[in-house]
Amino acid sequence: MALSDTSLNVQRGSFVSIVGPSGCGKSTLFNMISGLERPDGGSILIDDRDVTTRTGQVGYMMQKDLLVPWRTVLGNITLGARLTRRLTYDDRRRAVDIAQRYGLGDFLHHYPMALSGGMRQRVALMRTLALDHELLLLDEPFGALDAQTRFEMQQWLLSVWRESERTVLFITHDVDEAVFLSDRVLVMSSRPGRVVDDITIDLERPRTLGTLTSAVFNGYKSQILEHLHGRVGP
Amino acid sequence: MKSRLLRNVLGSLLSFVLVMGIWQAIVVWGQVAPYIAPRPLDAFRAISGDWSTLWPLTLWTLRETVYGFLAGAVLGVVFGIVMHKIAMLQRVLYPILIVTQAIPIVALAAPLVLMLGFNLGPKIVIVAWIVFFPVTVNVLDGLTHVDGDLLTLARVLGARRWRTFLVIEVPAAIAPLFSGLKIGATYAVTGAIIGEMAASSGSSLALYQHNANANLNAAAVYGTTLIMTAIGISWFLLIVSLEFWATPWRRRVTARRRRIGGKHK
Amino acid sequence: MSQRQIRRAVLALAIASSSIAVAGVAASAATPTNVRFVYDFPGPDFELTPLVVGIAEGIYQQAGLKVSLLFPPDTSTTSKMLTTGSADVGFITTSDMAVAVQAKAPLVSIANYSMSNNWGLFAKPGSKLTLANLKGKKIFSWGDTWTNAMLPFVLKKAGLKASDVTVVTASNDIPLLMSGKIDFTTSTSNYGIPGILEATKASPVSIVGAAAGVPNVPVWVYSVTRDYAKNHPATTRAFLAATLKATQWAIKNPAKAVADFVKKYPKSGYSSFYSTKGWGITVPLLTNAQGKFFTQTDAQWTLLANGMKSNGQLKSVPSASTYYTNAFIPQQ
Repeated sequence: MALSDTSLNVQRGSFVSIVGPSGCGKSTLFNMISGLERPDGGSILIDDRDVTTRTGQVGYMMQKDLLVPWRTVLGNITLGARLTRRLTYDDRRRAVDIAQRYGLGDFLHHYPMALSGGMRQRVALMRTLALDHELLLLDEPFGALDAQTRFEMQQWLLSVWRESERTVLFITHDVDEAVFLSDRVLVMSSRPGRVVDDITIDLERPRTLGTLTSAVFNGYKSQILEHLHGRVGP
Repeated sequence: MKSRLLRNVLGSLLSFVLVMGIWQAIVVWGQVAPYIAPRPLDAFRAISGDWSTLWPLTLWTLRETVYGFLAGAVLGVVFGIVMHKIAMLQRVLYPILIVTQAIPIVALAAPLVLMLGFNLGPKIVIVAWIVFFPVTVNVLDGLTHVDGDLLTLARVLGARRWRTFLVIEVPAAIAPLFSGLKIGATYAVTGAIIGEMAASSGSSLALYQHNANANLNAAAVYGTTLIMTAIGISWFLLIVSLEFWATPWRRRVTARRRRIGGKHK
Repeated sequence: MSQRQIRRAVLALAIASSSIAVAGVAASAATPTNVRFVYDFPGPDFELTPLVVGIAEGIYQQAGLKVSLLFPPDTSTTSKMLTTGSADVGFITTSDMAVAVQAKAPLVSIANYSMSNNWGLFAKPGSKLTLANLKGKKIFSWGDTWTNAMLPFVLKKAGLKASDVTVVTASNDIPLLMSGKIDFTTSTSNYGIPGILEATKASPVSIVGAAAGVPNVPVWVYSVTRDYAKNHPATTRAFLAATLKATQWAIKNPAKAVADFVKKYPKSGYSSFYSTKGWGITVPLLTNAQGKFFTQTDAQWTLLANGMKSNGQLKSVPSASTYYTNAFIPQQ
């Protein structure tokens, strides 16, 4: 069993991170929310709608950008729509808007192979946004990027989240990242996974470099690390 | 980009001149009798001298090559897709398809003539026989190697299977498809010629060459070989050009066609 | 050295050199001359019988010759094998000889194999095919110079143009004939009749020789390069003499001759029935009206060359002596 009894309530518009050791069932959780897997018991509700085993209800993004090389940036952003219906002028217009709003307006007609890793992940997020789902599941989206790019992406993600007012569920191994980005951090135990702590992150937004080194930040960080690795400090 | 194309063309011209030069050298220094092997110029003269006869024959061979190639390409794609979609079919069909390639084409030719007669029929079958297999293998490989996570993502986004097939799997298979088509293109003419050699009634480059050989007209024999080679090369280059046009993302940074549609870009 | 020593040395030297001389003479008497004979077809068949008999019955050996039989990779290569020195004596059609001389290949014909034209069209037994209803029919061709030389005569006799018939060129005729894919095959009688007889157990419909409108010229000849004839006249003469003996032996002892052939080429692909029948039809063709073998005439070559010029295979007709010589033929 990957996941033991788990119950989760996420408030609209919030940014919630999930941290935990490998095999704690984070991915299983995402698979169930996105409709890929059926839970042995219980159900998934979005806005009181039962979406258990129903796909196409949430946005989803992984560590791999999964951009298709034969479509341009514009083509990749519209790929989500293309997979469910024929594209309209509005779809393309929206994609142009998203790209311009979030900084890739000059690269609309580039092929993915010409972009850096960070830019490709941005396109992947834009593709996720373009589908207009309320809930976005982001599974370690910055795991493959170098530290410098990762920080830029985290700031960029926060501005996008703020601007688009979506609800984000974010899986990460990186405790710093979790605390930095989220309103709330769920800590999970190893297999069979369950939520062992639900920490509300009471840090001011917008979050800056200064936030990263504040005492409050470190307090949250220690708390989480203790769960993951045992007692921190003497 | 333009200079690279120019360099490639010049390179090919240079190798052509080199080959002709070596040929000429061998014939002249070896004092080879003209009915054993001609000089390059004599071979060209033999072609141009009898062009009015050779041109329709060339067209026939071209026709056999092209029709057979198209048939083989379609067959190859169908096999590739069907074998990808139905695992049981792949297990049963794959060994059979391999056996078809192990059979020497020359052995196939005679029975095909008995069945299909002396005209286009057997030649098209032989060319298709040769062409379909590399296409099948490459299409199958292309479809199999689509990133599983991408297919999962498509499912999460709510895509139905046939839409995933059309929007993701088919485009993913285009580049490998052309690999298979290029291989098939190089061998297609050989298939047409083998078919012609097995039996032909009149319109056949191979027959023309056979008669020239019997008449000790070595210049015409070599000349016909040059024509056959030219057909093969031209067809291959055509497929390469098609590949260039169909897969812009492999060599360009930005797309040339920038459609957004509607009132303004 | 003393006188005695010198005499002993000279004696020793004399004995030694005479032993070598004796050995040399014995050796040259014992070593036969190699003659490489190349056939016109990639595989052996009954027309080779005289040569097979010559080898099997020791007739060549008695003449001091060691004859080996070679086969070309295809029906158009025998001439080239002679001119490049891969073979010494060759078996080719008279039309191949005419084409070779036109291409300035230095070949010369030293003897006729057969004396008359037994070539024609053959159809399945029972088919009502004649020259009169030749129009629109499918005729098989081997794509060789002989068939190309003869077919225009057939068309002329039938009063047709080339476009009135379909000529099909392939590598094997009997399956096509049997399955009805072609109406006529073309061959010489010694091959055509046994082939169809064996496949159908009945005699084919034949239109042969004068009935087919073709000139009465010999079909096959023995040939060598001019250089070979110049440099090895004795061998050439000896070869023809021994071949004549072997031919006569094979005519007198047909059953044994075919047995020799089957023994040498058990995997020839031809049955004993086929070879026996074929050799039997061939025998009467080997002698002319005077009962002589091998002898060629000016007339035969001029007739052939004129015919080939009229159907466009030759550009000009040289004198007959450019094609042949009877100088090496043994007395008969």
